[in-house]
Amino acid sequence: MITSSEKQLPPGTVLRGKWNGKRYRLERLLGLGANGQVYLASNGSRTCAVKIGKETEDLQAEANVLASLDQRERRRPPFLLDVDDAELQGRRFPFYAMQYVPGSPVKTYLRQHGAQWFGVIGYRLLERLAELHEAGWVFGDVKSDNVLVSDYGRVALVDYGGATGIGRGVRQFTEIYDRGYWAAGSRTADPAYDVFAVAVLWIHALDGKRLLQLTRTLLPQNRHPRELVELVRTNPTLQPMESWLDRALYGRFQHAREAGEYWRALVHAAAHPKTAREGQVPGWMAGLLAASVLLCGTAAVIWFLH
Amino acid sequence: MNQILLITDGGSNVGESPVIAAAQAYAEGITVNVAGVVDDGSVGEQGAVEIAEIARAGGGMSRIVSTRLLSQTVQMMTRQTVQGTIRQAVNQELRQLLGVESVAELPPAKRAEVVRVMEDLSENSPLRVALLIDASGSMKPKLAAVEEAIRDLGLSLQARKGESAVAVFHFPGELSNEACMLDLDWTDAPSRLGAIFAKLRMKGTTPTGPALLRVVEFFRETCGKINTEPQQPTTLIKRDDNGGVRSDYVV
Repeated sequence: MITSSEKQLPPGTVLRGKWNGKRYRLERLLGLGANGQVYLASNGSRTCAVKIGKETEDLQAEANVLASLDQRERRRPPFLLDVDDAELQGRRFPFYAMQYVPGSPVKTYLRQHGAQWFGVIGYRLLERLAELHEAGWVFGDVKSDNVLVSDYGRVALVDYGGATGIGRGVRQFTEIYDRGYWAAGSRTADPAYDVFAVAVLWIHALDGKRLLQLTRTLLPQNRHPRELVELVRTNPTLQPMESWLDRALYGRFQHAREAGEYWRALVHAAAHPKTAREGQVPGWMAGLLAASVLLCGTAAVIWFLH
Repeated sequence: MNQILLITDGGSNVGESPVIAAAQAYAEGITVNVAGVVDDGSVGEQGAVEIAEIARAGGGMSRIVSTRLLSQTVQMMTRQTVQGTIRQAVNQELRQLLGVESVAELPPAKRAEVVRVMEDLSENSPLRVALLIDASGSMKPKLAAVEEAIRDLGLSLQARKGESAVAVFHFPGELSNEACMLDLDWTDAPSRLGAIFAKLRMKGTTPTGPALLRVVEFFRETCGKINTEPQQPTTLIKRDDNGGVRSDYVV
């Protein structure tokens, strides 16, 4: 609400780390998180993102999450590059530097590249969340702005302000993506919490107008996952994923991996509608086939006997 | 950790000063937060000043919001107050142990561990929040939003690992000499408030001060003697000023 009153730092501002001595030249504002501003910055020839906040504790808590992920996933380049303080206009501000993630928010990406990309993006997003869950964290604040998509549907999560250890109370969330808001379960961090938010993300991205209309008109006591399922059922883009969204909204996925597998299966089924139907032969057809085989056999036997 | 959350839409008009009552609450180890709810118009200049003053005296924070943002605001204030209380206590320890003013003065490498401890404490420490709801006539159209905010706060408290409880009061009470009335004793699942709220008879007077003092007594009666930590009010007042930065969707 009040973030707009926060002054932006002009491009070219240089942060000098008080403890580690690194220098960062701010290029432009990338976004606003709940705990601070994120800038594109350069450190020598290296490009990175720098998050500047007010509360040391909040920024350090985020840095702790990134550090724990780096420790677990050693094969990739680290997310967290530096944690330090800088003096600006006579005041000390805590900041941390992290890997710069190019890309645009999911909603923007779909608007620019077409809704047909949501299958790939959805799968990659669930994979990414599964990795996070396996490291013991729930992302918490899944929403369009925090899911950046780059070329060919590659997905990265940004802003770990909501990341919560599994089993604790979710630290930060956005109301309409929140399971508790929709009376669909608790606010305790578990993998299903993120999967629920992913389901809302798709409704928001592909049927945003009706979703926002619903949140405005629905009385609090009537909030229920069935209201969201109803939106899905009447939207042609979302409809092929209805059974996935239904399970996600009712908390019937225990893990993001399981949700990802099912998502993948539906994406393939939607791409080949015929092969999907071939799998299930109606009973009456099988019965008819058996009958005709039997009849044919009997006819052959009778013919031979004659 | 003990908190009182006052939800009101205007100034007090009867009895002791609510600012002094809030200061008394804070002296007894209870932080007082205030949510001013307005839809059309405003709480008036006097009301706004009083709301801010009550929170300042009570070591807490205040916000003036529309009913639509009430749930979010209640949660944000409760959570930030918990964090503020823990940070204060930990910083106090740091002062005594290491002679530094706060965690911000530690080198970043050492902060990581201290912040982890702060987070564990915030999550696990027992928390009690008493909600004190203004039931004067003008609040009537806002009660549905208040009810929803309480339900929502209950959800967030239930998700905590530590023991959490809420109690609900409204003021003025039903009897003429009663400053406020207990609607719901300490519970970890504040549901079925609708029935209570339907029974409320809205009255004209707003005895905010006496009601606050009654709730402070209730804390003492139900929680025994409250352990007051040596506190430095300046830290919390500062938190009030910059709390708005992350007020959007923080729980």
